[in-house]
Amino acid sequence: MKEIVTIQVGGFANFIGSHFWNFQDDLLGLAEDSQADPVYRNQSLNMDVLYRAGETQQGASTYTPRLVSIDFQGSLGSLSSRGSLYNSAPSSDPLHISTWSGNVSRQVSEPHKKNLFLQSLYEEELEKPTSSVDGPHKFKDEDLVECLQSGVQFWTDFSKVHFHLQSLYEVSGLYVDPEDFNNYGIGKSVFSGGLHGEEITERLRFFVEECDCIQGIQFIVDDSGGFTGVASDFLENIADEYSNTPVLLYSARSPGSCTRPINRNDSILRSLHDAISFSKFSSYCNLIVPIGSPSISKSKATTTLNINDENLFHCSGVYAAALHSTTLPLRMEPPGPAVESQYVTGALDFNRFVTMLACQGRQNIVATLDVAMPAPPLTGNLDQHSFLERLYSLTPELNEDAEDSQAVESMTVHGALHAGGNRASILEVKDSISSAYKSATTRPLFSHLSAALCPLPIPLPFPSMFRNHVSQSGLLLDKPISRSQSRSSLDVHSIPMAARLRSSNAVLPYIEKRLGNLRKLGIQRGSPGTGLLRSWGLEKEEVEDMGEVLSKMVQALNPRPEESSDSD
Amino acid sequence: MSLRVLNPNAEVLNKSAALHMNINAAKGLHDVLKTNLGPKGTIKMLVGGAGDIKLTKDGNTLLKEMQIQNPTAIMIARTAVAQDDTSGDGTTSTVIFIGELMRQAERYIDEGMHPRVLVDGFEIAKRATLQFIETFKTQVVMGDEPDHEFLKMVARTALRTKLYEALADQLTEIVVNAVLCIRKPEEPIDLFMVEIMHMRHKFDVDTRLVEGLVLDHGSRHPDMKRRAENCYILTCNVSLEYEKSEINAGFFYSNAEQREAMVAAERRQVDERVKRIIELKNKVCAGNENNFVVINQKGIDPPSLDLLARAGPLVVVIVIMLVAIVYLILILEVDISNNLNQYLEIIALRRAKRRNMERLILACGGEAVNSVDDLTPDCLGWAGLVHEHVLGEEKYTFVENVKNPFSCTILIKGPNDHTIAQIKDAVRDGLRSVKNTIEDEALILGAGAFEIAARRHLVSEVKKTVQGRAQLGVEAFADALLVIPKTLAENSGLDTQDAIIALTGEHDNGNVVGLNLQTGEPIDPHMVGIYDNYTVKRQIINSGPVIASQLLLVDEVIRAGRNMRKPS
Repeated sequence: MKEIVTIQVGGFANFIGSHFWNFQDDLLGLAEDSQADPVYRNQSLNMDVLYRAGETQQGASTYTPRLVSIDFQGSLGSLSSRGSLYNSAPSSDPLHISTWSGNVSRQVSEPHKKNLFLQSLYEEELEKPTSSVDGPHKFKDEDLVECLQSGVQFWTDFSKVHFHLQSLYEVSGLYVDPEDFNNYGIGKSVFSGGLHGEEITERLRFFVEECDCIQGIQFIVDDSGGFTGVASDFLENIADEYSNTPVLLYSARSPGSCTRPINRNDSILRSLHDAISFSKFSSYCNLIVPIGSPSISKSKATTTLNINDENLFHCSGVYAAALHSTTLPLRMEPPGPAVESQYVTGALDFNRFVTMLACQGRQNIVATLDVAMPAPPLTGNLDQHSFLERLYSLTPELNEDAEDSQAVESMTVHGALHAGGNRASILEVKDSISSAYKSATTRPLFSHLSAALCPLPIPLPFPSMFRNHVSQSGLLLDKPISRSQSRSSLDVHSIPMAARLRSSNAVLPYIEKRLGNLRKLGIQRGSPGTGLLRSWGLEKEEVEDMGEVLSKMVQALNPRPEESSDSD
Repeated sequence: MSLRVLNPNAEVLNKSAALHMNINAAKGLHDVLKTNLGPKGTIKMLVGGAGDIKLTKDGNTLLKEMQIQNPTAIMIARTAVAQDDTSGDGTTSTVIFIGELMRQAERYIDEGMHPRVLVDGFEIAKRATLQFIETFKTQVVMGDEPDHEFLKMVARTALRTKLYEALADQLTEIVVNAVLCIRKPEEPIDLFMVEIMHMRHKFDVDTRLVEGLVLDHGSRHPDMKRRAENCYILTCNVSLEYEKSEINAGFFYSNAEQREAMVAAERRQVDERVKRIIELKNKVCAGNENNFVVINQKGIDPPSLDLLARAGPLVVVIVIMLVAIVYLILILEVDISNNLNQYLEIIALRRAKRRNMERLILACGGEAVNSVDDLTPDCLGWAGLVHEHVLGEEKYTFVENVKNPFSCTILIKGPNDHTIAQIKDAVRDGLRSVKNTIEDEALILGAGAFEIAARRHLVSEVKKTVQGRAQLGVEAFADALLVIPKTLAENSGLDTQDAIIALTGEHDNGNVVGLNLQTGEPIDPHMVGIYDNYTVKRQIINSGPVIASQLLLVDEVIRAGRNMRKPS
């Protein structure tokens, strides 16, 4: 068993996570569904890597994500922080209070209404034992999709997964508005204060203790606000406690948080927040993948997707799909001694995966994430090397035209289709990708390919954002199918995916910008941010050390002696 | 209004409006918390947006759950929470004292008095009260054998404000014994050495003190036994997990055999460590029937668990030896073969909490081992009984019957989470109160006796020494002190006026009395054993006026941004 524990910290991270677990839940459901496409039944993917089996005190068995999620108090909407499985229906009857004989006063806050989608899930569960098919369903799928399209407020609003009672942690007692919880400094003391850290690490330990041999920790953090402070303390704790366990960090930023700064102080604050967060993260994890371009709606993604940047529900779906694809190799059944599996190829374990990208060639722990969603057909009207060119980056602030002879890549393609719409076999995928690499103008130093037959299933609560030339099985057609602007999960059932993690010097501007800001605003004599940094508990020496580390990262990628670092 | 020029959107509250905003916020918080106070207070049932219920009578918990938005209220709440952090109790008292100070101040300010003068009076009164508390306190000499009775009285006073009497009295004993257990002469008391563990099981009255440790996990091997007597305890921090070799190494092998060889070599290293532990076990357990328990902070993977469960070659040796006498045994005892197995295996627990490593050493003796090279019989601790208890997916391991424990566990039991949470809150308060008493070597008479006495002192002695209008500040402060006995009376359904008059009457006659909450009559708190902590009272007297003064001296509130008049 090679278990992975997932950690989600902060609002956007939980939105991504929610989609991510919805995909997993769909895969689980389809694997058991006898009417589903046979491709799902033999996924050769080990779900136990991400999930844990347990049982409630009543003896009912459970299968829940191995997950620790951290967010604000009140961010769970209509979901109880204890999850929905282990609840023994608490009674609100004052007579049931056994520890106090005195008076009881009730303070009821306004209940969050379950939206149509959650109501339908709830009723479905109640019906299960009787499984009656009397009359039409109370909830029409179209209505459910429609209600999610516009009305998602909390990440739990579109989650169809049951969580373990240890999984969801709400940070209480912050005494700040969520809007004001927007920088590293403000979240810094949260982890150490008020027993939050104790409780959070205790929950992580609960999941790790169960693992026979944990292969790694997958950490998603919302890096736009105070949760970076929480996460960096948490990461430090993990690096200390589980020193041999590799950590893969996705540092995610929602497009909505990239608004223009109000004034100069605000922009200094944000620049330093970015620099400090990044530098803290990079010192406590083995591989860091920044994701979240300020506007995916203007990127190449628009050829296939119709994304509303403002809507967290929308854009988190793209990142979640990419995450799902990149982590597939970690879950593939390891190959048998002789026969190649016909369902998957390119299994990796967490440690190899991370070291391959971070340590092969040169030491660069910052990787970029590219994706093609849905992936273009392998053969047909498109010439071959364009398959690689169809991938677009989800990492912000890149030098897209960088040429790097020492790049290292890990590519995952799953559910790939031929131009005709039939599924390509693993062998065909391998062949055409390697020939695509061969004919490409710039070739990486090393590339690893993982492929799986199983496409990405589109769960019902996935935003309607496919363009109208995406077919039901995710094939890109020449002509639009329908007149409506975007197609929903009811029209598109599954899509082929291609995603790639890439360690190259394209990421240089991202690091250089942070280094430059740190120098300009924090280190140089008389720089405007020193006071701010001190209020975050960072002394001059520490900031200088951070600058040192960042400039080493830059040098590893850019062997030329840097003349001016503050080139922005 | 120069600010208007700078920022037309900024909102400014002028002098009296600002003051009243502060006063109202303080009074609002006061009103929410005042019903909490004392053994006759009201328990609060908070029903969240998702329908989950939280029960609390703890001011600290309540403040954290309330999601306060009003800036003034946040300031007061922070002070009160800090009060709890430093002294362990008195959150509610702090809030209502501040509220009452503001209310008293309002009366005078409405009559045209300048806040500055009032604040001066507060300051004088505060200093006088702090001096008074030194003469009022009851000395408790701790020495080597602390006075059990006093400790019990203070613990009982604290616990009875959180739990019904019978349960509070039962826990009193537990809490006092727990603190005395971990107390070491000449060292500060570290309450973390009392583990608080809970099990959702049985009833609140089954809560007990375990001399030793309760761990919230069990062995992960089906063959390890669930109960063992006379155990050596090895506490270690050694990875017994097949580890990936160091980053960079072990990655570039040219063929499958090389890889296999590498894996095997790495596996051997782990096995070697396990064998060293087994050797030690064989050494100390030879010739006796003692058991061996390994509690590891790092992981132990299934092959290692397997080795430990079978405890290596010793099995073979003894089996051969015993074959000779097997016939004899068959006649003597049927289950000897069972026993035989039992004496061979090692019980192993992985991923113990970091703090438990420290606690184990204090409870069982021995020392924590960080490398198998340091293994000697001297490292081993001892426990008379180690056994496991399973509740659904939760496992608990009891390490009991230890010699000279300096660490212990309060095992909280209850049928549901509410009961457990209630008891946990109470136990925490109880522990802190006993610790404070031992460290202060002093107590304060409770049931309102101190407040009445302090007021009398202020009005009859201090006020005369003050010149001018600051006298009114002293008077306001003195009256504000009465809020504690008043609220106690009010919460008990007594007539506040009658109760206060009766109490002050007795005090004028020179009797130090408190309020009997059953009858409303004066009583001697010492006779019924109602004592409060010296530090807690001191802290309240100290911090209350500071915050109140700061709030009173505010004469303009400026906020650029959102509307501050919106209801919180």
